[in-house]
Amino acid sequence: MLIQLAIRNVLAYRKHSVITFLLGAVSTALLVFSSAWNDGSHQQMIKNAVEIYSGYIQITGAEFRKSPSFEHLLFNVEKLQKDVEAVAGVDLFSPRFDSFVLYSVGEKAVGGMLTGIDPEKERRISRLYSSLKEGRYLSKTDTNQLYIGNELARRLKLQVGDELAFVGSGADYSFAADKLIVKGIFQTGLFEFDATSAFLAKPYFDMIMAAENLATHGIVLPHDTQQADIVAKNIGRKIGAEFQSASWMETMAPLVKSMKLDSVFGYITLGIIFIVIFFVIMIYTLLAVFARIREIGIMRAVGTTPRQILGILLLESSILGFISVVAGGLIGAVFAYYFNVHPMVFSGMEEQFKQYGLAVSAMPTAFEPFTILRDMLVMFVLLLLSTLYPIIKVNRYQPIEAMHHV
Amino acid sequence: MLLLPQIIYAENANDIIEKVVDNLNGKTAIMEISMVVKTSRAERTMKMKSYSIGQEKSFIKILYPKKDEGITFLKLDNSMWQYVPRIEKTIKIPASMMLQSWMGSDFSNDDLVKESSLSDDYDHALIAETEDDYNLELHPKADAAVVWGKILMSVSKQYYLPVTVSYFDEDGVLIRELLYTDVKAYGKRFYPSRWVMTPKTADKKGHETRIIVSDVIFDMEVDENYFTKRALKRFSR
Repeated sequence: MLIQLAIRNVLAYRKHSVITFLLGAVSTALLVFSSAWNDGSHQQMIKNAVEIYSGYIQITGAEFRKSPSFEHLLFNVEKLQKDVEAVAGVDLFSPRFDSFVLYSVGEKAVGGMLTGIDPEKERRISRLYSSLKEGRYLSKTDTNQLYIGNELARRLKLQVGDELAFVGSGADYSFAADKLIVKGIFQTGLFEFDATSAFLAKPYFDMIMAAENLATHGIVLPHDTQQADIVAKNIGRKIGAEFQSASWMETMAPLVKSMKLDSVFGYITLGIIFIVIFFVIMIYTLLAVFARIREIGIMRAVGTTPRQILGILLLESSILGFISVVAGGLIGAVFAYYFNVHPMVFSGMEEQFKQYGLAVSAMPTAFEPFTILRDMLVMFVLLLLSTLYPIIKVNRYQPIEAMHHV
Repeated sequence: MLLLPQIIYAENANDIIEKVVDNLNGKTAIMEISMVVKTSRAERTMKMKSYSIGQEKSFIKILYPKKDEGITFLKLDNSMWQYVPRIEKTIKIPASMMLQSWMGSDFSNDDLVKESSLSDDYDHALIAETEDDYNLELHPKADAAVVWGKILMSVSKQYYLPVTVSYFDEDGVLIRELLYTDVKAYGKRFYPSRWVMTPKTADKKGHETRIIVSDVIFDMEVDENYFTKRALKRFSR
């Protein structure tokens, strides 16, 4: 009975219904899409930063991250490898050895990092392989073949096939130097990284740097990257206090924090918009309800209880709210899905993106049904709340008063 | 009148440093030394020969181990070059690498280049005197490009040679300590035949570098040819 009346009223006051519906639907679509955009761009930034080089889980000596010296290396990499790979959820473990060296070509000398990597495993844990620009990627049996960052190569004026030399110190602090040949040049798009990094296959690196069975850190690829944090903790428990096992949430803490802060600002902006929308709907409903005050007075006079009237009016706004939230949610979801599949590309803004450590300027939105439902629920509650005050207020009138209301 | 004792001290301190610098360098010196670098994990030995004229010019050639044999260093005033036979290359050590370790030891490139600047770059004050030693405090001059905030040095009265040298950073934290012991006579001069550098920072715990001087010839004519960039490669063999 009440619901029939409510539906009839919604249809009867068509203008009011359409405007309320549009306001509700547009705001819902806006909220759903903003969330998808916020989450999507943040996830993309973190994914980039993590996947280009630093990895989902890093294992170091316990003190290494505090004081990165050769005193706090991973000393028995082979054993560590077995232990780590035995942990559930671990796909693979790949050791790396970072060292600071001086590169020299002709009279020119530039400081940079020289890192020994396992070329095969590295393909899966970082984007070094897919960032190949010229020449070829490393293979396990390579000797003095260097895979060098584009900016570093440019500073040293090197092309594929050119020779350069480096001097540095081995893991035992002894003097190390060798001639190297450029095998490939990579460009990840992270400027700092491309300007300071170069790689050798680890077997050869170990020989010239006295680094056999040693590593500065190891990267773990979990089966499910969403579970990185849990897997990192499990590894930590297994390998003991001698080591530190940290997920990207720790190793990238500053980035994660800045993303959170950015989200907060995003929600504050949205919040302000929604406060405005809230009052617009409220005032509009107030006007609409008061236009019907005579009708309400008559209903009261013929014996409808205030409770029933409250019920009818609440049902009306629930029906309207529900329809607009569903419609808006669908529209928002369609956009979120579309830009998830076809990311927005900001060409010409690469410089700004670089500051966030972003290699590409394509930004997909996140498409997460759970988040969309959450946003729809928030909007529904908001729409209902905005009509509550006018509805309660109109119900306070006495029937006679209401009928005479102009 | 009140300032007078300090002026006398200051002069004394300067004289002491001058004598110390002269005693450590001679007019010329040809030395054979071994360097033992100890870390918390391992110990390794290097042998080398050095040729120097006063404080300004020096040439060092690594003789041992085999892997590093023939690496040569040339220091002229404030610049330093290195020749590495494995890569057939002469490298000028850039300013940014000056604080890096020299051949993996607890000495830095800067120590080799700037060892002489104790007399020029620092203000010296005699802060105490015991029966055997003078205790000096060295503060960098305002415009001196040096890395230490303060140096404390005790100098033996008998030989005018340093006994201990403590290096502090700008915050007054002790970074490392150098001990000179086993003074022996080489010709007319006395010279400490054993130096031990111990870093005091947490990241270098367990590290130590010992220099053992096996032979020194002072004040003999040294071939000027050693102090050219060409010599780096020529005398590498």
